[in-house]
Amino acid sequence: MTLRAYIISRILLTIPMILILLTMVFVIMRVLPGDPVLLHFEKAEHPEAIEEMRRKLGLDKPIWVQYFDYLFGLLRGDLGKSMHDFSPVAEQIFSAFPATLELAIYSMIVAVSIGIFLGVEASKSYNQPKDHTIRVFGIVTYAIPIFFLGMIFQIIFAVNLRWLPVGGRTYPAMEPKGFTMPLSQPPGGVTTHLFLSCVAGLIVSTLCLVAFKLKGKKITRKILGVLISVFLATWILWAWVGWHFISMGELHIATGLYTIDSLLEGNLYKFAEAIRYLILPSLTLGLVLSGVFIRLTRSNMFETLRLDFVTAAKARGLKERTVIYGYALRNAFLPILTMMGLQFAALLAGAILTETTFSWPGLGRYIVERINFRDYTAIQGAVVFFGILVSIVSLVTDLLYAYLDPRIRL
Amino acid sequence: MRGTRAISRIAIVGIVIAIIVVAAVVGYFLMQPAKKESVLIMGTTDTVESCLDPARAYDYFGWEIIQALGSGLVEYRPGATGAAEDIVPALATSWSVSSDGLVWTFNLRQGVKFDDGTEFNATHVKYTFDRGMGIADPEGPFVGIGYSDIIENVTVVSKYVVRFYLKIPFSAFLSLLACQASYIVDPKYAPPDQVVEYKAGDARGSHPMGLGPYRLTKWTRTAGRDQEMVLEANPNYWNASGGYPKTQKIIIKFYADSASLALAIDAGEIDIAFRQLSATDINNLKTKTHLKVWEGTGAFIQYLVLQEKRPPFDNPTVRKAVAAAINRTAIVNTVFLGQVKKLYSMIPIGMFGHRDAFLTLGDPNYTLTRTLLAPLGYNETHKLTFKLWYETSGHYPQSPELAQMLKASLEASGVISVTLEGRDWAQYRQERIAETMDAYILGWYPDYIDPDDYIYPFLHSSGGSWLHHNYNNTEMDQLIEWARGNTSQSVREQLYEQIQDLMVKDCPIIPIYQGSAWAVTKTNVKGVYLDITQSWRHWLVYKE
Amino acid sequence: MSKPIVKRSMLSRIIPAIGSLRERGLSGWLVIFGAAIVISIILMTLLAPWISPYDPTTKGVNVGAPLTPPNSKFPFGTNHLGQDMLSRVISGGGVMLQVAFLSVAICLAIGVPLGLFSSYMGGILDRSVCLVMDSIYAFPGLILAIAIAAMLGRGVVNMALSIAVVYVPSYFRVVRSQVLSIKEMPYVEAARSIGAKSRTILFKYILPNVVPSIVVVATVNFADAILTAAGLTFVGLGVEVDIPDWGWDLANGRKLLPSGAWWVITFPGIFIILLALGFTLMGEGLSEILNPKLGE
Repeated sequence: MTLRAYIISRILLTIPMILILLTMVFVIMRVLPGDPVLLHFEKAEHPEAIEEMRRKLGLDKPIWVQYFDYLFGLLRGDLGKSMHDFSPVAEQIFSAFPATLELAIYSMIVAVSIGIFLGVEASKSYNQPKDHTIRVFGIVTYAIPIFFLGMIFQIIFAVNLRWLPVGGRTYPAMEPKGFTMPLSQPPGGVTTHLFLSCVAGLIVSTLCLVAFKLKGKKITRKILGVLISVFLATWILWAWVGWHFISMGELHIATGLYTIDSLLEGNLYKFAEAIRYLILPSLTLGLVLSGVFIRLTRSNMFETLRLDFVTAAKARGLKERTVIYGYALRNAFLPILTMMGLQFAALLAGAILTETTFSWPGLGRYIVERINFRDYTAIQGAVVFFGILVSIVSLVTDLLYAYLDPRIRL
Repeated sequence: MRGTRAISRIAIVGIVIAIIVVAAVVGYFLMQPAKKESVLIMGTTDTVESCLDPARAYDYFGWEIIQALGSGLVEYRPGATGAAEDIVPALATSWSVSSDGLVWTFNLRQGVKFDDGTEFNATHVKYTFDRGMGIADPEGPFVGIGYSDIIENVTVVSKYVVRFYLKIPFSAFLSLLACQASYIVDPKYAPPDQVVEYKAGDARGSHPMGLGPYRLTKWTRTAGRDQEMVLEANPNYWNASGGYPKTQKIIIKFYADSASLALAIDAGEIDIAFRQLSATDINNLKTKTHLKVWEGTGAFIQYLVLQEKRPPFDNPTVRKAVAAAINRTAIVNTVFLGQVKKLYSMIPIGMFGHRDAFLTLGDPNYTLTRTLLAPLGYNETHKLTFKLWYETSGHYPQSPELAQMLKASLEASGVISVTLEGRDWAQYRQERIAETMDAYILGWYPDYIDPDDYIYPFLHSSGGSWLHHNYNNTEMDQLIEWARGNTSQSVREQLYEQIQDLMVKDCPIIPIYQGSAWAVTKTNVKGVYLDITQSWRHWLVYKE
Repeated sequence: MSKPIVKRSMLSRIIPAIGSLRERGLSGWLVIFGAAIVISIILMTLLAPWISPYDPTTKGVNVGAPLTPPNSKFPFGTNHLGQDMLSRVISGGGVMLQVAFLSVAICLAIGVPLGLFSSYMGGILDRSVCLVMDSIYAFPGLILAIAIAAMLGRGVVNMALSIAVVYVPSYFRVVRSQVLSIKEMPYVEAARSIGAKSRTILFKYILPNVVPSIVVVATVNFADAILTAAGLTFVGLGVEVDIPDWGWDLANGRKLLPSGAWWVITFPGIFIILLALGFTLMGEGLSEILNPKLGE
């Protein structure tokens, strides 16, 4: 069938899936004990006020009326109002989602990187101790409860070594650790600032080096002189002029992903801060997910490395690293991509525990909180949102796979 | 070609390093030191639970912020112990009360301006109270504290004189006016029939006050959780001439749990950590030399409520026996590491009227328990069994541990067997209203500083109805009403003595412990007063 | 048709496989090693009342000073209530084991028959059940488990139920794929043509072939159930507080991190890992033995 027909049929298939999940959650919440109405009342219980609240939350109508009301609302794109604080659920979900997205992206990067690297190492020394160790490592990381790993990291890196924060995502006003004064001074102190200026200078010089195709040639005095001047110019610009314009005030939120937004602003400090808070959570979630990728890469590379073209390449004298990462790994690319899509649901599930451990203000933590508040509309909205998300990801994965694999023609 | 000799890599690296070092040294000497600005950063695990409108807000943190943004007619001076002399003028400069105690007249401070230049006068006072009682939010303080049971009406006598006509003589009336629910609102921001809620992006529109030491310049929430609040000095504050507030800007950061808060204050990310640090954290932070731990008078109490509708607690002897079996020492030391106080009275320590009434039942006195239960047929082989319920959502500090220790203490008597039932706060409330729980643990923060606030909402048949424990004693009701109406302190003390003795006889509720207030700050932070009002006075704190 | 299919009873298929484990090399060792871990932990939990040095429940409060690091008297240290962590670790596995076994039992009781009947009968009933199962399978299971557990309340049974709901689709899918492939085999057709009842065919012919895959899924289910049970306890949906439980110690020990009391969470955590690992190893080994893959 044509591509369009395929996409449409997949989208249509999503609808029953979401309906089923929504119905399950809807019924479960209203049938089992726990009443959101009473959560609004602490002390004096006036029956009229309780009835009024019940009406306000829409819980006085029979279940099927509530159900269809909700469904029709969904069709209009209205996820309803939270039963806890009456603000629109859609707004809350969309403000919490970027945090989870950022965590998911970086965790996936960690998982795939570890997976590929270790998988390759294991396949190179097949059935030797190194291979066994890596396989065991892959199995063990799967067996570790995510929040336990997270807490261990917190103990080591946040409590004992004090290198990294224990949780949170940082604040829109992004002040670096320990810095409490508003800016009349370079953030992080003078030495950090100068160091970063040097980094900027080095980056610019290297870019010049690469841009003018000077890498292969020998570096003459003249060229060195030019590079040094470029470096100094950048340093002066950044250190003396730049910091007046780099304010550590509010991060202007464009995408909601702090790492991207800070780069868009051109502010390396905010970028560094955002990364600092991301390191432990994405490391935790990424490690736990890496096992699947290790196994996949390992088995895939094992087959590929025994193919003729690899032997031929090695015979031609190419370095092993080039052979593996340049050529052989391309075979694994598609399966890894597919696996990434398949693991997306697991990623979201893992994100819930990671966010709770690290107080990461994302959708996972949002759901856990809302369950405590018996906030039916918020939980339903989150379930629908997750359902659509998972379907989109799986659809995109399938399409990408079909697009990239010439053997498959839709 | 001349001058095109290749240079080795090592030389290049060396040159780069040399440049960096030279640049660092040069820059260091040329950079100017920073200018100081008076900013404090506070961290907390609380959030605003409903809103910042005095007509509805009834949570601790909401009141803490209302106090920074608004003012009442009177206030408690810092270091107050709850005595009458501790109430000092705020927006009212003097007052008088009629001999029957039913008419209170206040002379208002002149020249106090709202943020748009309107002068504060008696009409604003009338508006505030009419609005509060008109809105009558069933969950708001006006209904919960019973303002409409106390106040008949508010009359504007002249521009700077306002009069309150009361329905009953209420000796704690000044105390009532000092609490945050009585703070004056700005009619421009407070519609008469609508509660002011959080408005994203509009901090000023998110609260109706305006006469306090601070203005709210920023309040952000993400996905329903508070992220940050910024308070900036209000130039129109009536006490600005006294040098208040002492800190121009306060940033409040919200942490998700006590562990993050403890680590943040330890790492120096914030200047002040206030609520809620666990007992272990406080003990740990006490050992740090770069931090100061402040302990203040607590007014937070926790107590055990017994359901009198059905067995076994429909029998006062059984209730007494259970009260005698509580080992408060073990609880205080094990669960709270000695950081709270044993409580033998419904009225907290430090407030007038407090008496260790329950001490007569022992701490614990298992002999008494066994003696009381034996004639009812309870002994080692046939134990008194019931369920002890507690909340698991972290609403109170360390509820599971408290429940465990209570169970241990009761079972140590040898004749009691307890089953624990933990529920999250939503269900806990529901069970309370449904009256399904045999024995349940609750807590209480004061609304106004007077023993009436610890007696009326618990022991009075209508005042205590929210507890749903079905305790009704007309003699008790009468004593309570006399006590709240009488204006003589000595008479009231006698009445509260009687009330507490009667309470021990009936044992409807058993007080367990009284918490202290704790704050942890950097060593250069001063002006922290943790007194019986439980209020955090933002305008007194400063950094040296 | 490549090789003759011999009818064998279920047991005679499984036992020789186990009996020859040692000869299977690594896979065999994995199963033995995994089983050893699991059995030792089960034994430890069962013998807990006799082997723990102190009482792990409320009666054992304050046997030592609160938050003492591991030392000779308390090898695993004490927690903030002064309870001995070694005793709590020894007795703490009970809850997780019960939840795991119960959830597997529920899944087997529901998922397997459902898979068998639905895929064998086919038709619209099959398609709708399939749709429901796929929906649950594709969705992040933990969210569902948390929602269900939160509504049901605390307790071993409720936790097992919420885990079972999330895991039934896995059993369903595995059973279904096996049934679909075996359904069309000639000997099944032959049995049908001589008038054998569907029920007979299902239980005598199809089920025995499906069992190996179910065993593998069950072991993975065990491991997942343990981790999910720990996760549920972590977000506050576990068992009552005076029952010693590893998950509870992890969740509660979180508050103690800033004080540096690492031992309260480390030891229970290690045992959770061991238990999950034991089942996972068994699963890995069994899946290689019972469903041999080429080239591995």
